[in-house]
Amino acid sequence: MAPGSKSAEPELRRSVTPWGSFSWGYSDVGADIFVGLGLVLAWAAGASNVAFLFAGVVYVCIGLAYTELAATYPVAGGGQYFVMRGLGDIFGFIAGWAVLLDFTIDVTLFAWTSVDYTSQLVPALTNSVHPWLHFGVVLGLVVGLCLLNVIGVRESTTFNGVVSALDVISETCILCFGFLFAFRPQLLVHTMQIHWPSSYDLMLGTSLAIISFVGLESISQAAQETQRPASIIPRTSVALILTILIFALAYSNLALGLHPWHPIADAHGHPQQFWQIFPNNPDNQGKAVALLAAQVPFYGAFAALYVPVLGAVLLLISSNSGVFGSSRIAYAMSASNLLPSLFARVDRRYRTPVISIVFFSVIAVVELIFAAAPALFPAVSSLYARFFHGENGLDFLADLYAFGAATSYSFVFLGLIGLRLTDPLSPRKFKIPLNLPMRFRGERVEFPLVAVIGFIGIFSILMFTLFTHPLGRIFGPTWLVLGLLFYLVYRRYRRLPVLRSQPRDWRNAQTEILRRAGELELMDEYVANVKASDARRAGQGT
Amino acid sequence: MISISSDVHVTVAGALVALLIAGLVGATLWWMLHPPESYVMRIAAAAERNLERIVGSLIVAFSPEIDSAHVMALAAKLARGERSELLALYVIEVPYTLPPDAEMSVEERSALDALGAAETIANKNNVAIRTETIKARSTKQAVLDVAKREKANLIILGSYREGKYSGAPLGRVIEEIAADAKCDVLIGVEGKHGTLLVDESAQSTSQEA
Repeated sequence: MAPGSKSAEPELRRSVTPWGSFSWGYSDVGADIFVGLGLVLAWAAGASNVAFLFAGVVYVCIGLAYTELAATYPVAGGGQYFVMRGLGDIFGFIAGWAVLLDFTIDVTLFAWTSVDYTSQLVPALTNSVHPWLHFGVVLGLVVGLCLLNVIGVRESTTFNGVVSALDVISETCILCFGFLFAFRPQLLVHTMQIHWPSSYDLMLGTSLAIISFVGLESISQAAQETQRPASIIPRTSVALILTILIFALAYSNLALGLHPWHPIADAHGHPQQFWQIFPNNPDNQGKAVALLAAQVPFYGAFAALYVPVLGAVLLLISSNSGVFGSSRIAYAMSASNLLPSLFARVDRRYRTPVISIVFFSVIAVVELIFAAAPALFPAVSSLYARFFHGENGLDFLADLYAFGAATSYSFVFLGLIGLRLTDPLSPRKFKIPLNLPMRFRGERVEFPLVAVIGFIGIFSILMFTLFTHPLGRIFGPTWLVLGLLFYLVYRRYRRLPVLRSQPRDWRNAQTEILRRAGELELMDEYVANVKASDARRAGQGT
Repeated sequence: MISISSDVHVTVAGALVALLIAGLVGATLWWMLHPPESYVMRIAAAAERNLERIVGSLIVAFSPEIDSAHVMALAAKLARGERSELLALYVIEVPYTLPPDAEMSVEERSALDALGAAETIANKNNVAIRTETIKARSTKQAVLDVAKREKANLIILGSYREGKYSGAPLGRVIEEIAADAKCDVLIGVEGKHGTLLVDESAQSTSQEA
């Protein structure tokens, strides 16, 4: 070897294309409406569209924040990395730990609803009819996904891309045919006037609506593998934000103004509106899109056959993204000394982070047991009814999902503000609009007003969640407190700063990040900014 | 409102919303799938266009004296066809007046451009590629050492850069590598009317900007 040579370091190949990046996000976020629609209709009733609109506005702010951050810092790690860099190690841990909660819930919740959608074609899998069978199949799916990830089998980006494309086409067709043949504007207005929910139910519905928009994390996690991330990610993120927002708003309005193709009657034979099949019916809540698709004239005859299958597959992909997403986040946190190196240990045989995958899959199974227990054991059911307003099953999982998302997103907004103030030199190819120019520590910075609006929005949703979800306000904070205690003990054991952050050379790190991402023009711009800043400071010093 | 049957009615509002949804979703996805091209992508596109006039190999060597960008696309095609591993190597020759690990920022920056373009070309051809930058006293020895380490079958070299002519028809370094290599060597020398794929003027304009 020649003197002064460097050894060849294998790096993650940047092979994710624009559609690949979109489908990574879509297979996660796109599945959310399959879960969220029925839950929101059940609680927010005639104001479901308003609940989705409020959550949608917050989601747009979140999406813009993630877009800016992922394009500026294209690294695997997502939200916890941005927060750690903007606010410090301990806050990075809290944000990452909340995301981990979300990912483990993601595994169970989407496996659960995947079975619910399948039950549309296979009625034996209906939870209320055969709870043990339902539980067994969901458990089998979770364990199966865990094993597949342990041995390293994962659905390909191509498979993700094909399913996402089919789903985008399918949902567009459902909505277009639905609005064309079954939508009555007068019925929408009538429903909103007559069936407007109480404030409590509206808050509950809004806090559940946010779960229809969870998963943008996936795009930023794939940033390191995306071709030209600073250029591609803003486009894929904005496209994902718009597509999901269009679908969520359109579905909720269509559901409230839908004139069913086949008459729907209640237990007494009285005609019902479409949305009225969801309150107090968890079985229907778990397969709302399939039920809606079947009520679209003409197209519904075809949609009734394939939508349950497509929904089940998409939900299973989303569930799988929870398994490998949690191990990925844990790996990134471990690399930053926020979690023990145990979570980053790669198995020699399978070359996958087995410990991490199994640990978080076990947590997902525990959550499944908590969710399914009331349906399986009548004694537990009365216990839940007494202490938790009878919340169980899908509600339990949705509560925790909303809590984890709202917590981590709140920190991401704060992280964005922190990074705008402390790292103004990093070139931002995408910048959130509405900024307030100011000076901070001698540098010109731009304070993001949208982040403040978004923070207020998501924080209010977090408060709604804590206020309206008896289970969420107990298990969510408990998860965070236990994690924080674990973090404090670990940092003390490793003799690392416990409450303060570990010193890091962010300037070199940023140059390396941009170099690895192939964003050489941005790297040049960053180096020039740093030099200019240093020269300015040196000039001021003399 | 238009009645299609007793239960199905088409309203103007419903039809407009349906059109709006289809239009918005379609336009959003079209916009997403058509991002602007970057500098390295333009280099890669030029390489694709000039594929028939270039040659390629398993180790493609670059240095300030050897310009191999124009043979990179063919190397990628070859590697894909042969399912071979592809290594793009940039050698920075450190003069004896400097320490072996001396910082040479201009050369290191050129290395990043060359290897970035090489990686882009490989990605477009769906070929796995590794890139490596080496500082060495002798370009020839560094290329031969890496070829030995990688057990390479073929070393690809471009042509010498203008102004570096030192008495050898193909360039001193290129001829020395070809003479001493323990494996096959392909040398892509541009003919009288050949054009470099890396446009020097465009590159300098980009760097100035």
